[in-house]
Amino acid sequence: MFRRILAHEWRMLTSDATVWTLIAIFALSIGYGTLNGARWTRFQHDAISQAEREERDRLAAHQATIVAANTGTSKVSPFLDPRNPEVAGRRLAGRYAVMPPAPLAALSIGQSDLLPYYFKMTTDAKETVTAGAELENPQRLLAGRFDLAFVIIYLYPLLILAISYNLLSAEKEQGTLALVLSQPVALRTLALAKVTLRLLLFLATIGALATIALLAAGVDLGNGGVRFALWFAAVAVYGLFWFGLASAVASLGRPSATNAMTLAAIWLALVVLLPSMFNLLATTVYPVPSRVEMVQAVREASDEANGQGSVLLSKYYEDHPELAAGGAEQAMNDFNVIRVAVNAEVERRVRPVMDQYGRQLVAQQSVIDRLRFLSPAVLMQDALNDISGTGAGRHRHFMAQVSAYHETWRGYFVPLIFRKAQLSTLADIPRFRFQDEPFDRTIARVATALGGVLLPGVALFVFGLRALRRYKVA
Amino acid sequence: MLEASALTKQYNGVAALDNLTLRVEPGEVFCLLGANGAGKTTAINLFLNFIEPTSGTARINGLDVTAHALETKKFVAYIPETVMLYKNLTGLENLEYFSALAGRSDYTRLELLGFFKQVGLQHEAADRRVGTYSKGMRQKVGIAIALAKGAKALLLDEPTSGLDPKASNEFSELLRQMSADGVAVLMATHDLFRAKESGTRVGIMRHGQLVRTLGTSEVGHADLERIYLEQMHD
Amino acid sequence: MIRRIARKELLDTTRDGRFRVLAILVLAISVTSLLAGWKHYRDVQAQHEQAQRATRAQWLGQGSKNPHSAAHYGVYAFKPKNRLSMVDTGIDPYVGVAAWLEAHKQNEFKYRPAQDRTAVQRFGELTAAEGFLVLLPLFIVLVTFSTFSGEREQGTLRQLLSLGVRTRDLALGKALGVAAALALVLVPATIAGIVCLSLTPEYGSLAGDTARAALLGTIYLAYFATFIAISLGVSARARSSRLALVVLLSFWFANSLIVSRAASDLAATLYPTPSAVEFQSAMEKDLADPSDVEQRFERRRQELMQRYNAASIDAVPINFAGISLQEGEEHGNEVFDRHYGRLFEIYDRQNHAYQIAGIIAPLLPMRALSMGLAGTDFAHHRSFVHAAEEYRRSIQRVMNYDIAERAKPGVVYTAGPELWEKVPDFQYEAPATGWVLEHYRWSLLLMAAWLAGSAWFAFSSASHARVD
Repeated sequence: MFRRILAHEWRMLTSDATVWTLIAIFALSIGYGTLNGARWTRFQHDAISQAEREERDRLAAHQATIVAANTGTSKVSPFLDPRNPEVAGRRLAGRYAVMPPAPLAALSIGQSDLLPYYFKMTTDAKETVTAGAELENPQRLLAGRFDLAFVIIYLYPLLILAISYNLLSAEKEQGTLALVLSQPVALRTLALAKVTLRLLLFLATIGALATIALLAAGVDLGNGGVRFALWFAAVAVYGLFWFGLASAVASLGRPSATNAMTLAAIWLALVVLLPSMFNLLATTVYPVPSRVEMVQAVREASDEANGQGSVLLSKYYEDHPELAAGGAEQAMNDFNVIRVAVNAEVERRVRPVMDQYGRQLVAQQSVIDRLRFLSPAVLMQDALNDISGTGAGRHRHFMAQVSAYHETWRGYFVPLIFRKAQLSTLADIPRFRFQDEPFDRTIARVATALGGVLLPGVALFVFGLRALRRYKVA
Repeated sequence: MLEASALTKQYNGVAALDNLTLRVEPGEVFCLLGANGAGKTTAINLFLNFIEPTSGTARINGLDVTAHALETKKFVAYIPETVMLYKNLTGLENLEYFSALAGRSDYTRLELLGFFKQVGLQHEAADRRVGTYSKGMRQKVGIAIALAKGAKALLLDEPTSGLDPKASNEFSELLRQMSADGVAVLMATHDLFRAKESGTRVGIMRHGQLVRTLGTSEVGHADLERIYLEQMHD
Repeated sequence: MIRRIARKELLDTTRDGRFRVLAILVLAISVTSLLAGWKHYRDVQAQHEQAQRATRAQWLGQGSKNPHSAAHYGVYAFKPKNRLSMVDTGIDPYVGVAAWLEAHKQNEFKYRPAQDRTAVQRFGELTAAEGFLVLLPLFIVLVTFSTFSGEREQGTLRQLLSLGVRTRDLALGKALGVAAALALVLVPATIAGIVCLSLTPEYGSLAGDTARAALLGTIYLAYFATFIAISLGVSARARSSRLALVVLLSFWFANSLIVSRAASDLAATLYPTPSAVEFQSAMEKDLADPSDVEQRFERRRQELMQRYNAASIDAVPINFAGISLQEGEEHGNEVFDRHYGRLFEIYDRQNHAYQIAGIIAPLLPMRALSMGLAGTDFAHHRSFVHAAEEYRRSIQRVMNYDIAERAKPGVVYTAGPELWEKVPDFQYEAPATGWVLEHYRWSLLLMAAWLAGSAWFAFSSASHARVD
């Protein structure tokens, strides 16, 4: 019986021209969104390759100058001596700390156009090292990207609602409902069958189209197989929520036009209005601590530590070696040692300011984060970002490794500086190897987000099924 | 076959159906007569479990319709005033679908065409979209569905409204056949002429109450009209 | 006649329960977003102004040190917030708030507010501008989609036309009626906006901003008029109210959500942004290139020796250290100008292409104009970056020429507060309104075209209105 109704519904939907138009629009959007995402991922890979190439070439040239200096074939200024560990560590021999895009990063551009994914490591203060960012037109950041995540979060629910707003009301208005229900078919069975078919139709379409689009864009699905399954599960859960909503509204027995309005209003509220209101709260009621104040506090702290002015003097001499007084080499090395000591003092004073800032930031973010459970669109954004590795979680993981690498980098060069040693090879300089997050941590975050979508979805379904008992057939 | 016992439906204290008690045995054609709002459609909706009774019971084949909602549907067929079918499907496809819903998914195409023939529909019409059918043709499909279902009871709501005399006559003929086959028929109608022609008994409803019942063989056409108008007199 | 029709339309609309609910909602959202924008502007502007004063104080309070050390110490520039940003925050979340103005380097503005926020930030802020550009058109669509089609379905349209009412008058009357209903929401919102604007007298001239605010209001009105006209036109031509609604909602959805992103992507495909690595490496290569600097040094040596009739550079009464420092700066400045110039040119081209895509969606030129008048677009940011950079260069010039004139070679030289005070306080003047309008002339043209086109569409649809 159920299967027979499914077959009938399939027949009804596929003979409707509007349904084909919707599917066509959906297909185009999915294709375009995926291609866009893939293009961005390729850009990131290219940038990383460029960085790696640049590093290789620079270090090779640097190694050559070391050799030349050692064999005496070139004159070396003491302030730019390639063998000097201070010069190497801070200026010439920087290595990149890189977070490559996760497999299937094409699925959601997320925050990856805003948060930096590579840094050149030097012995400078950590804040100086990590201040970089990928270049992007700010108006482009504002407009947002047309990626697959956008299609899923915004368009997918609308199409679901467009195909199910008249789930039962169509049969009632066209007059066939009475005839159907005079057969031994429960209204519940009928409704369930209609929803099931539509859900399956959407999932099959998305699955097929996304797979084709990803393959066409050259994404390696084998590498990200589990992620793709997770992504598909997320899409299914999100669909379940919206179908649940449509069924709940359908079970109230109102006319098609009213259902359409109601569902459109709810879509607007959940996908457009609520998220912007969260942002409103985040700027007015509970804003992020001020970076401007942080900048001032840091400056004051470092001013105190820099009391000597010897660092600045040293900078002056290093820029303009021809202006230094005699005994340059000796002076240079002493300055380097002094500089290291002063830097350490600056960092010591700046640390509490930065830590305080970090704590306030985390607190503010967690408050705003909790609000996301009010909107399935925001939860879905988090889930999709985590699955494609473009979310804040993976980035935090990266930044922690960058911090550790900074420590390691310093740990390598500072002793050399103090010992006034000379570098003969650059091969021992620590490299950065990115350790991706353990996958179960990602899954845990995704599961939490999806749970927040699934629960209300199921509740809506249950409500709908119960409300069907009071459905006015006549 | 069809039994109502003190069947009552109230909306906000106003009784749309007040204490209806009647029995329709197999082979009987019971016609409910009355003005709009007299309770005829309410009675039918109650039998179909489309609405819940305030008190009393409706039974089909001895089973309470509220307690055995799905099971009772197996025995009864319903033909509304305007039979609406799936426009983009052919007549035969509609018949096949509704039969499947009724639990009979084993009919061959030939068998389905047989039902079509039985109700007087042309062979060529079977494969035409229902959107092209006339009202009379759609009603015939409704009857075909009832036949294919093997229903033991038939509920009809204003079946002859909007039909021309020929179609009306054909309908009467079908009704006679079904009645002869032992189907219990409850028909709500305005059509006094058709009630006398096709019905075995007639019940006059007024303000939700069944005020007079009589056998159609007892009266002539003119008498029936006179009795009807008497009852309607306020 | 037109007035009668308008009055009837107004009554009809305002009596509709749905209109009332929607109107209250829209008004509530507008006022809330204005208040929020006002608060945010006040808070941030106060912070930035205080920080700017503090950095100046730090500069003046440096004590005695070599001028080049002072140049390396530098000052910070904090991006000021434009008063009208309370209406439209534009790209403010996506540009850095502070830049360190130090010697030898043109630093980028760091600490983009959006980077400190969670991903939900990318859904967009609920600013007053968003409300006007996205929500109000939806409101218009919902209120007007059945102006013609509803009358047709009721049967009254046929009666009106049989009375000899001209379709042009009908269209205009209905438009005015709807506009009047809309005014019930807009007037309180505008008053709220004016109040918010005037409650910030302490930050810069209110007069200039009032002109901009008035212009901003005018273009928003043009946008609403466009939507009213399109709605009326579709309502007149569509077969049913339901179809009109579907068409208009699809237009609204495409306009508000789809075209913007697609146009932005297209613009970036046409004019690709380089990666940071590419940009930095190219710039560093040019900076490190010794040839140009050497030539400069030599040129200046010759010039000075000639001017002072000296046999060698040491005989010149000017400390060449200062001159060479300045020449080094100039070389660097040239490189920065070349590279940043090229980069900003790419951004400008992208933004221009985005505007042009407004041929298919009126939201795009509206966004551009709204951000432009509110001072929160890239052009204004670029102007501030330029001003900050000019200031940085002026600091270098003052410091370097002081060394050239006062420092004696081989002698340790320090300067004090008299020199620091020679550098004026950083004053920034935002571009004039005329400049903004000139910069966005294409958007203005497109908006005018949309307004004219939609009006024509409305009138012609009314005269060809389906009667059944």
